[in-house]
Amino acid sequence: MNYPVWVIPYLGGSWAIGLMAVIHVFVSHFAVGGGIFIAITEWMAYKHNDERIYEYLKNHSLFFLLLTSVIGAVTGPGIWWTISLVSPNGTQLLIQNFTWFWALEYLSFAAEIPTIFVYYYTWNRISKELHLKLAFLYFGISLFTLFFINGIITFMLTPGNWLNTGNIWDAFFNPSYWPSNFLRLLIMLGLAGMYALITSSRIKDEEFRAKMLRYSAKWLLPVFFIGPIVGYWYFSNVPQAAINTIFTGIHASGVGNFSILARAAYLALFLSGTIIVFAFVGPYLNPKGFSFKTALLFLLCGLMVTGISEWTREMLRKPYVVYGYMYSNGIRKDQVQKINQAGFFQTAAWATASIPTIPEKATMGLVSGKGEILFRYQCMSCHTQTGYRSMKRLLGERDRESIRGFLEMLRETDSKKNPYSGIMPPLVGKNEEVEALADYLNTLQTPQKEQVKK
Amino acid sequence: MINPPASKKIIDWLNTRLELGPLFYFAHKKTVPVHKHSFWYYMGGIVMILLIEQVVTGLLLMVYYIPDIRSAHTSILSINSQVDFGWFIRSLHSWGANLMVLFVFTHLFSTYFMKAYRPPRELTWLTGLLLLGLVFGFGFTGYLLPWDEVSFFATKIGVDIAGKTPLIGEAVANILRGGTVIGQNTLSRFFAIHIILLPLLLLPLLGVHLWIIQAHGMSAPESEPTDVSDKGEFEKFFPTFILKDFMAWILILNLLAILVCLWPWGIGQEADPFAPAPLGIKPEWYFLAMFQFLKLMPPTVGPIEGEQAGMMFFGLLAAGFAFMPFFDKGKSKRRARIATWFGQIVLLGFIVFTLWGWIS
Repeated sequence: MNYPVWVIPYLGGSWAIGLMAVIHVFVSHFAVGGGIFIAITEWMAYKHNDERIYEYLKNHSLFFLLLTSVIGAVTGPGIWWTISLVSPNGTQLLIQNFTWFWALEYLSFAAEIPTIFVYYYTWNRISKELHLKLAFLYFGISLFTLFFINGIITFMLTPGNWLNTGNIWDAFFNPSYWPSNFLRLLIMLGLAGMYALITSSRIKDEEFRAKMLRYSAKWLLPVFFIGPIVGYWYFSNVPQAAINTIFTGIHASGVGNFSILARAAYLALFLSGTIIVFAFVGPYLNPKGFSFKTALLFLLCGLMVTGISEWTREMLRKPYVVYGYMYSNGIRKDQVQKINQAGFFQTAAWATASIPTIPEKATMGLVSGKGEILFRYQCMSCHTQTGYRSMKRLLGERDRESIRGFLEMLRETDSKKNPYSGIMPPLVGKNEEVEALADYLNTLQTPQKEQVKK
Repeated sequence: MINPPASKKIIDWLNTRLELGPLFYFAHKKTVPVHKHSFWYYMGGIVMILLIEQVVTGLLLMVYYIPDIRSAHTSILSINSQVDFGWFIRSLHSWGANLMVLFVFTHLFSTYFMKAYRPPRELTWLTGLLLLGLVFGFGFTGYLLPWDEVSFFATKIGVDIAGKTPLIGEAVANILRGGTVIGQNTLSRFFAIHIILLPLLLLPLLGVHLWIIQAHGMSAPESEPTDVSDKGEFEKFFPTFILKDFMAWILILNLLAILVCLWPWGIGQEADPFAPAPLGIKPEWYFLAMFQFLKLMPPTVGPIEGEQAGMMFFGLLAAGFAFMPFFDKGKSKRRARIATWFGQIVLLGFIVFTLWGWIS
């Protein structure tokens, strides 16, 4: 409200964040899990004095370095840039709350990058003992990046006691912090194994290739045997209302009573189940028949599970950006009454400054009027005009009065009167502002120029 | 004395009673050629796993489906929205059917271009073509069962097209419809054909197809060594190839799960036989090429109706495929080239007309 809005036509802000975040998750989880893989595998090479493992690790660490330090380092800051533009109020809250933790996360990241560079460029240049220490140093630093960022991410879904105390330690060590840490760690180990299958499948020596493929496949075991227990621990700390969202749905399938969230959750479970079978019959039982191309397809399945799970976790927060505190459009829950009484534009400095002085009708829709500005500030964090979650499509055949009636329903916070209350923020503002929004939404159905002609 | 492991005891017990020796010998001896076209060997296995999935989901759907024109649509709606995981099973069946047709096509054309129809594999090829016909039959009869607007009118068009087949067309159309219009008789017949007649034909034919494949072994393209004496590379079917097959099945089932969960199969308005056909009604994608081609036919070709001429043309194409093992026996390079061109033209034509039908 006190920031300008970044308008991303067709795609919408949520996808801009989603795309950046999903790519980052793929790489950052590898950055941590892969760090553990490198350290443990180098320790194994040191223990058995196996030069072949050293040679493999040298190649693997180049792949690791390129992937994590290029894509990971670009998408990491990219997320913060994107969220600060798409969801500035939410970002402001996180920065104010977690200034020091965020600084520590950056510090860990700043240490992580040079460490992996030094690790790679000191192969065969320093003693094996010292090189092994470097591997474990990277392992430790990368774990810190997880521990710090996880506090900020989990806070958004489970702010816990912070809602009452405002205490930073309550915010950071929130109810889902520890289960999430362990769950992510298990996923990271699994992904590290899947990435390692790719590099292992390139090994020329058949016997050693088989050995490394079997070894890499074993890295998937923890997530499949301990993962369900930790997953149960995690979900038992997530608000019941958020879990209900999965099964009540944001989008019905149109014909069934299942939401896209429920279907995504089933898909993640199905893919997870098949991955372990795949790892068993593929690289473990039949390493000779496990090719590079198969390893890529296998990784694709793993990344898909990770992406779907992350997306589901993000959707669980609906309609909030910080659960129970700030709605996804940046309006705080405790502001609703005040805005309804005083008016949206009275409480939103930047939005008020954006109102054009020329009458809306005279501009023939070329200059944004109050209605469109309200749409941008209250709806656009999730919807676009004609693209993703298109308002034009969702409004269907509704006429102006019907749209007005629908908006009136969205102002209700009681779930009995407003079935969308659990998944959408309430519409806030005075009557005349809601009228302006209804006018604007009506133009999506009937182009404004046609209305002017009438 | 060391006791043998439990698994060996079980195998011995079974071996004594079932005489599994020849099977073990066969499994031990069977090999698969390894070359740059080996990828296409997985297509048959993928079709098999999709067939199993279709049988299982089809059986589950039968529990709730009612083949009555007053209840068919409602029963599918109920499967989609009220039966636990009904939407999942139905979407698996619908998406699975489409994937199966796609992989049957891929299997057919890959074996065709690898010249796997040549002697002594003529019967493998012919039984394969018959199986393709049965798969089309499954697709065509299954499409009507939801009894919605699109399926009703697409079936009407399909039966009308079948009716244009010279000599037998009208009789076939009447048998399929159970009269002159599509109604309860048609639904009952399609249901019976879909769940009884076609499976009864498919299972023995598939058995023969698989048996001949085992008898002759996997065919390798001309450019690749055909046996060990040619210094070709081979791998054991058990366990090496079968484990890789297993991985391919998992990937395909994953693809199916993605399609089902992200794009569950819907259902349109209930069919109203007295309503006009909706604009732009089209058959399923695998009949689109034929549909588009027939649309372009002039009213008459010489003395015969245009659509009849079109059907005769398709008959000739099918006959061309069936006759190919007897034309291209691998002895003449010219005939081999003609066979390849024939396949390429048919494949290209199929893709072009399908896309044309899709966008028009």
